[in-house]
Amino acid sequence: MTEELTATEKPSDNPVLYVARPMATAARQFAKSLLRPSTIVYPYERLEDPKFREQVQVASGKPIGVGAVWDNYRGVHALNIATCISCNLCAFSCPDLCIEMVTVPGGDPKHAKKCPEIDYGKCSYCGFCSDACPEGCLTMTTRYELSTPKRSEMVYSPQKLYEVYRTKLPMNPIRLERPANEDSILLDPPLCIGCNACARDCPTQCITMLEIPKPTAKPGEKLPKRIWKEPVVNDSDCVRCGTCVSVCPKECLFWGSRR
Amino acid sequence: MSDIWINMGPQHPMTHGLWNLRVRIEGELIRDVDPEVGYLHRGIEKISEDRHYNEVVTLMDRTCYVAGLSWEHLYMLAAEQALHIDPPERAQYLRVLCDEFQRIGSHIMWYAAFVQDIGLMSPFLYGMRDRDLVLDLFQSYTGARMTYEYMRVGGVRNDLPPGFTHQARKVLDWLTDRFHEYDQLCLGSTIFHKRCDNLGVLSGKDAIAYGVTGPMLRSAGVKRDLRKDRPYAVYDRLEFDVAVADGADVTGRYLVRMEELRQSVRILRQVLDWLDHHPGPVLADRVPRWLGAPYAPVGQEGYLLKRRFPTGVGFSSVEEPHGEAQAYVVNQGGEHPYRVKFRSPVYSNVSAARQYLVGYHVADIPPIMGSVDVCVGEVDR
Amino acid sequence: MSNVTLYSISYDLSHAVVFAVGSLAYGSWRAAIDSNAVVTTIAVLVFAVILLAASMLNTIVLIWYERKLLGRFMDRRGAMHVGYAGLLQNFADGLKLFRKHTFAPREADDLGFYFGPTAYMVSSMLIFGILPISSGWNSGALPLSLLLALVIFSFAPLFIFVSAWSSNNKYSLMGGMRSAAQMIAYEVPLLLAVVAVVLVAGSFDLSTIVYEQQNYWFWGPLVVALVVFVAAMLAEMERIPFDLPEAEAELVEGWNTEYGGMLFAFFMLADYLRALVGSILVVLLFLGGWTLPTWVPSAATSFPLAGIFWFMVKTYIVFGLFVWVRASLPRVRTDQLLRVGWNRMIPLALLSVFLAALLVSARCLPVFGCVPSLGG
Repeated sequence: MTEELTATEKPSDNPVLYVARPMATAARQFAKSLLRPSTIVYPYERLEDPKFREQVQVASGKPIGVGAVWDNYRGVHALNIATCISCNLCAFSCPDLCIEMVTVPGGDPKHAKKCPEIDYGKCSYCGFCSDACPEGCLTMTTRYELSTPKRSEMVYSPQKLYEVYRTKLPMNPIRLERPANEDSILLDPPLCIGCNACARDCPTQCITMLEIPKPTAKPGEKLPKRIWKEPVVNDSDCVRCGTCVSVCPKECLFWGSRR
Repeated sequence: MSDIWINMGPQHPMTHGLWNLRVRIEGELIRDVDPEVGYLHRGIEKISEDRHYNEVVTLMDRTCYVAGLSWEHLYMLAAEQALHIDPPERAQYLRVLCDEFQRIGSHIMWYAAFVQDIGLMSPFLYGMRDRDLVLDLFQSYTGARMTYEYMRVGGVRNDLPPGFTHQARKVLDWLTDRFHEYDQLCLGSTIFHKRCDNLGVLSGKDAIAYGVTGPMLRSAGVKRDLRKDRPYAVYDRLEFDVAVADGADVTGRYLVRMEELRQSVRILRQVLDWLDHHPGPVLADRVPRWLGAPYAPVGQEGYLLKRRFPTGVGFSSVEEPHGEAQAYVVNQGGEHPYRVKFRSPVYSNVSAARQYLVGYHVADIPPIMGSVDVCVGEVDR
Repeated sequence: MSNVTLYSISYDLSHAVVFAVGSLAYGSWRAAIDSNAVVTTIAVLVFAVILLAASMLNTIVLIWYERKLLGRFMDRRGAMHVGYAGLLQNFADGLKLFRKHTFAPREADDLGFYFGPTAYMVSSMLIFGILPISSGWNSGALPLSLLLALVIFSFAPLFIFVSAWSSNNKYSLMGGMRSAAQMIAYEVPLLLAVVAVVLVAGSFDLSTIVYEQQNYWFWGPLVVALVVFVAAMLAEMERIPFDLPEAEAELVEGWNTEYGGMLFAFFMLADYLRALVGSILVVLLFLGGWTLPTWVPSAATSFPLAGIFWFMVKTYIVFGLFVWVRASLPRVRTDQLLRVGWNRMIPLALLSVFLAALLVSARCLPVFGCVPSLGG
């Protein structure tokens, strides 16, 4: 088979010219890169520095970088602890389960304040958490240097994430709009016992317990033992975190469409 | 020398990944080959069954690490079919934009790895340098250079940043000049022709019998391109030609890929023009919020099963840079897909190795396997 | 600096040292120390040390030069952090290799495994004792210095094959086989090309060959021989496009797959030593050695050590050409390489010998002296 192959080899037209052509191309690159090679001397020059980007673009004529290139970058998170409402949405939306909600000081006694702690050893920088954050307090920054000799240092506590926030790095400006036909929290009234758990734990305090009239018992009927109150969800304030659904002891709150 | 078996891999410069090619050689001649794959199996299909529909995107980027967006597109087409969702038009154009830029990135990456296999040092770095411009563009609108996580069920995550199309056109102009340079360094060289002509021949008949697709099939003169034959997204509205070469050899595959690069540039110019003039939503507004992140339903898992959402199955096939990829998604009404199955083109292309390797020299293995464009993450999934 | 040779310098040095030591001693001790034999022995040692240091330094600078040059060809910068412009990077790399644990595979044959790289290194170093670097180097040391240099140069396939075989690795063995086949195939055109030079120069002595190039450099009349010599030299040095013995795409690292640490450093250094020797031979045989064309102002040639300076400049330019080839051409295949070697290179080399004989017998060589661009 090999013999056949060599017999049918295409003859090259002009060996000298055909070696000269790639060599000329390489020489042209050599002459170009003598002035300024394409590489970036990384720790000293940084691509995220807009001044440097412009300088490179002018010097080499290469279309490096878009104006807003670094604003969209998904790097280390920044957390504004002050506006965090402990809604848990980031932890729930994390596909890698790298976010854990830990208690931070500053909550009221009834309602412990919990903020995300991120393990960057697991994080895949997908940005689902910052997309899910209803208050915009968890965002992603342009910081990408994370190397550390200790594995434990890969876990960023809320305080550490807050320090990233305070460096005022450019942050990912993209905010997703909520879908128009979003599901709401609905109530199955016969099951409710009026226990107030949902209103107590709601991070946005959008659930109010309204009194309902106590029905008059028919003869022979025994009224259920309950507090005669029912939760009413303020739909425009609700961030759809689902905390109320998960704390409801009777499973009477559920997701559903209002229509 | 009598026959000996040598293991090229799993750690070998030829493999470009983690797989093993067992070769029986007699002197410098290949007598038999036996590709072994599976070193990089991560169970992506199984993990997908335990994730919300949107969260599978993070796995798709890791299926093929040089063509992540193509695989995202593939999965999204199948998932949307299973969930009965139609993405808006602008999102479809954006997905084609992703696809074609990804094809350019992947083919340039292939070029870089391939020339390295035949011993050319500098074009490797030229390729990597030029691919970086494509990655810069990706970074500017998806937010990452390699693991994009850009597409969502029902559209894409976000729209383009301002000034993107202008910059993208500049990159395309720059790249068009570079393609000429690539040809000068390879096709212009006698030694390249000596190395690659009539090498690794896989006839069109054999290729179809083995399920070989993509540039390998087209290099055998078979005009098969899913973008033309079974158009998805908006490919039926775009003008381009299917790149075909004859010879079915390594040079033919090179020619096909180079032509595809030029055709991609042609497609991208049309897409950019369209995007300039047609603003609009990029995410379908009737997407159920239970699709997963970022609007994950919290609380009672499985409540959706009670609500009897419409079930369905989705099948999609996409012309990925390596060949025809296919996906199958079964939706049985829960938050998670019931079953996800992918068909990797490279798996078929590699399994035909005996057809195009036996009879050549040991020194021919790197160029031939290089011309297959093996992406192991995709083979093993 | 007309009659000063490297050996004479080292002889004077050792004589001075011996005289100083001897003057401190008494009686019969003084006679024993101050004898000619002692002076000569120490002189040879000093000579060797100077050569060793110079050649090693040159080799390491050569590696740096290739890295920088290749970097620019590839649109990057090359080594740049250790020392000024990365000059010390190779010393750091060498130090790292030196500190590494040297080990042999269990199935390897220890004698051959350790002997191979050592002998390869030593034989490559030996050549430097013969090559004249400038007029005041070791002129007239050997009447057959060219032949001796080429003989030592062609030892290499043997040592490579020994180390490849004793590594007991399939890749090493294939690399060794390829290396032996390739070097033997290209030995013939190399020597035939040299024959053309010898015909024109009329001597096997390298210094005499350079003196013969006072009027015209040999690359003009012997351009065919130059092409053959450079191509064969590329194959002998195992550089791209002829680096199949260590084709990393298929053979991992070829015959030095199993080597690590200092033994690998030996191979690496010896490879570059041979590259240096190859470039030096091209300069000596075809580019007029340390001489410069007469139209060059005399100021350029009259400063101290001008000969060595210009010689090294030429050598590095020639090596730069090799790097250029490496940056732009792919690797050929074994059978193609051998076919080119036996079917094309040898006829071309014979043609060059024939042309040289024709030129010499027709006595038209002085014509070339009139063309200024050829040098001389």
